[in-house]
Amino acid sequence: MKFPKIDLKELEKEKEQNRKNRLEFVKLYAEWLKKTPNKVWSRQQNKLLNK
Amino acid sequence: MEFEFKENEIKFERELSNLDELVIEFTKILEKQKIDYVIISGYIAILFGRSRNTEDVDLFIEEISFEKFNVFWKELYAKGFECIIESNPKEAYYGYLKNQTPLRFAVKGTFIPNFELKFPKTGIDNYSLENKVKVKLNNEILYTSKMELQIAYKLYLGSDKDIEDAVHLWQEFKNSLNKELFKGFVKRLKVEDKIKELE
Repeated sequence: MKFPKIDLKELEKEKEQNRKNRLEFVKLYAEWLKKTPNKVWSRQQNKLLNK
Repeated sequence: MEFEFKENEIKFERELSNLDELVIEFTKILEKQKIDYVIISGYIAILFGRSRNTEDVDLFIEEISFEKFNVFWKELYAKGFECIIESNPKEAYYGYLKNQTPLRFAVKGTFIPNFELKFPKTGIDNYSLENKVKVKLNNEILYTSKMELQIAYKLYLGSDKDIEDAVHLWQEFKNSLNKELFKGFVKRLKVEDKIKELE
């Protein structure tokens, strides 16, 4: 069986970078929420929640 | 997000999701039975706009007698809910709730979303219930734990999802929070090193 080369240090960095990217997205979304009327954001949120 | 924030009250209007409607239906049964409750955990972030879903809504209810619990149980079943953990109310009460083990209720025939009910156990649990915040959503009323505690506790729980919830709530409410209270919880929960994530 053949496996790719796995560098756990590199993966750990990647995981940490993904975590930071997610947090940046959460902040960006919260900023958008602040300047968006409730009626507009809640309609969009419902598209996700009512699936 | 447009909202009015007072010490123990948050008021806002928006479209309701199916999940919101279910939470309102469930908590109205608690209100009707005069059972004090507080919503904790992930649903609070969703209530205030977070872009994620959840499979359960966690609540503390005040410690009630078996007789009162039994009336509540019957009302839940009459309104189309069922316990997905235990079918006998006596066992549910003594074997679970009184043993600090949560019960889960869902709409009959479904498993998710469900409501996880527990009696408060720790000092923080009791604080949540005793200092709950009234949330006026459109014409409906829900009770949630204090935002200052909610954010600090999410940092304490510490999973990626919890940190993201904390960041979301912080970003939305940071200008309205009681900073002394928040710092007090941060210190007591020993999460000073995590607050840098919030900004």
